[in-house]
Amino acid sequence: MATIIDIKEEIALQVKDFEYTYAGADAPSVKKLNMPIAKNSITALIGPSGCGKTTLLRSFNRMHDLYPGNKYAGEILFKNRNILDKNEDLIHLRTQIGMIFQKPTAFPMSIFDNVAYGLRLQGIKNKTELQDRVEKSLQNAAIWKEVKDRLKHDANGLSGGQQQRLCIARAIAVEPEVLLFDEPTSALDPISTAGIEELVVELKEKVSIIIVTHNMQQAARVSDYTGFMYLGELIELGVTENMFVTPTEKLTEEYITGKFG
Amino acid sequence: MSIFLDKLFAHSTKFIAITILFIVAWIFTVLVEHSMESIHAFGFDFLTTDIWAPNLEKFGALPAIYGSVVSTFLAMILAIPLAIGVAIFLSELAPARLKTPVGVSIELLAAIPSVIYGMWGLFYFVPIIRDAFGGVGISMLTAGIILSIMILPFMAAVTRDAMNTTPDILKESAYALGGTKWDVIKDVIIPYAKAGIIGSVILALGRAIGETMAVTFVMGNVHKISLDLTMPATSIPVALANEFTEADGDLYYSSLFELSLILLVISFAIISVAKFYFLRRKRD
Repeated sequence: MATIIDIKEEIALQVKDFEYTYAGADAPSVKKLNMPIAKNSITALIGPSGCGKTTLLRSFNRMHDLYPGNKYAGEILFKNRNILDKNEDLIHLRTQIGMIFQKPTAFPMSIFDNVAYGLRLQGIKNKTELQDRVEKSLQNAAIWKEVKDRLKHDANGLSGGQQQRLCIARAIAVEPEVLLFDEPTSALDPISTAGIEELVVELKEKVSIIIVTHNMQQAARVSDYTGFMYLGELIELGVTENMFVTPTEKLTEEYITGKFG
Repeated sequence: MSIFLDKLFAHSTKFIAITILFIVAWIFTVLVEHSMESIHAFGFDFLTTDIWAPNLEKFGALPAIYGSVVSTFLAMILAIPLAIGVAIFLSELAPARLKTPVGVSIELLAAIPSVIYGMWGLFYFVPIIRDAFGGVGISMLTAGIILSIMILPFMAAVTRDAMNTTPDILKESAYALGGTKWDVIKDVIIPYAKAGIIGSVILALGRAIGETMAVTFVMGNVHKISLDLTMPATSIPVALANEFTEADGDLYYSSLFELSLILLVISFAIISVAKFYFLRRKRD
């Protein structure tokens, strides 16, 4: 059985007996997983490649539904409902649970339009409101100073680190309650990485954050809780400081000390 | 020994490549040379005269240029929205079991020789146009429709390929912000594939404007400018295909050569624009 510590904060998401099977696969990629996600905290998911951490992350906003034939089982509870329910409004869910990807994904449009995109999808047309919220989001993503004079420029002209912060601004513009980060710094240089990590920590005041990372130091630096996954199962969920010093499970210890990976 | 073979290979490929350059220049020179008589006789008036009277030895290219431009324009107007629609269906909407068969059929359609489109058009489309719009059925409109059917598969296939290059992660980012399928197509996929779509349109334009066999059957080769699209008309390639064998008289012959020179210049211009777009896309 997995070792799962009690969360002292409020719970943002509760995963219950969750299983996920890819189209055409015989066995589930995530197995009977139970896990609480703390509110206004950062939960890091670590584990070797293929352990199911990204698969789990992409279940929180039902990203898997873009591709046919995948199967969910169990429950993910969010705001008193099971978001795996087949009647769940995915458009609405994805405005409440946002996502940042492995690579910066600026849309082929201007910096302003990128950040305003999610707002416009929600039907906001008022120019002043759009301008206010775009500015606020860019400020919260710590990129306002760099782009305020060139909001009309193509977003693809920004550097990788700037684009990733733009993507974060775009995601927080719609005021989600949860943000999912899927290895957000894997395509960035160390300085941009440090900037993004700092930003992630600041963001937890407003949102609950789940971050998948290959980089254990990153998990140790930014997160409050760390979940270690192996072969589709959650082996251990603990307070980050304790996890990296005195893990309870032998597998966790072997992984973080580099015995396998 | 192997060094010798390397050199031989390098030199022979260089020779072949240079030959191509030479052939292009040669064709151009021959066309100019044979056009000279007509150029001397009519000058720039050749481009603006709408009379084509072999019996009077009076030749003007305007009706043929007009026919080429209008039939191509009609074809593009009809084909562009349909091709984009088909491409969207194939790249984003079609279930996996339809994607391949429909995609392959479209590629097959693009491989049908144009003379077959012409015959099919003459026997099946001409009566339909006659019944629906009046006239004799052999007309500018028929030519435009046949051309559009002919270029549609090529445009759809290239546009689909361009749309398929949109990274999944970019599409997912738009879905992750609460976008619907339509939002993602219109705001991410089409803008991302824009250069490819424009390139396919320009290449299709180049193909349509020089197309001969598909339209020769259904256009009528009448050198007369008419705003009524159900009237017979002509285009540069149609005039060339119909009249070269019967061109008696040096001036008639030379005027046909000047028509072909005009076509060559137009085609070169279109391909140059297409090249420009593709090059810019590669740099991005």
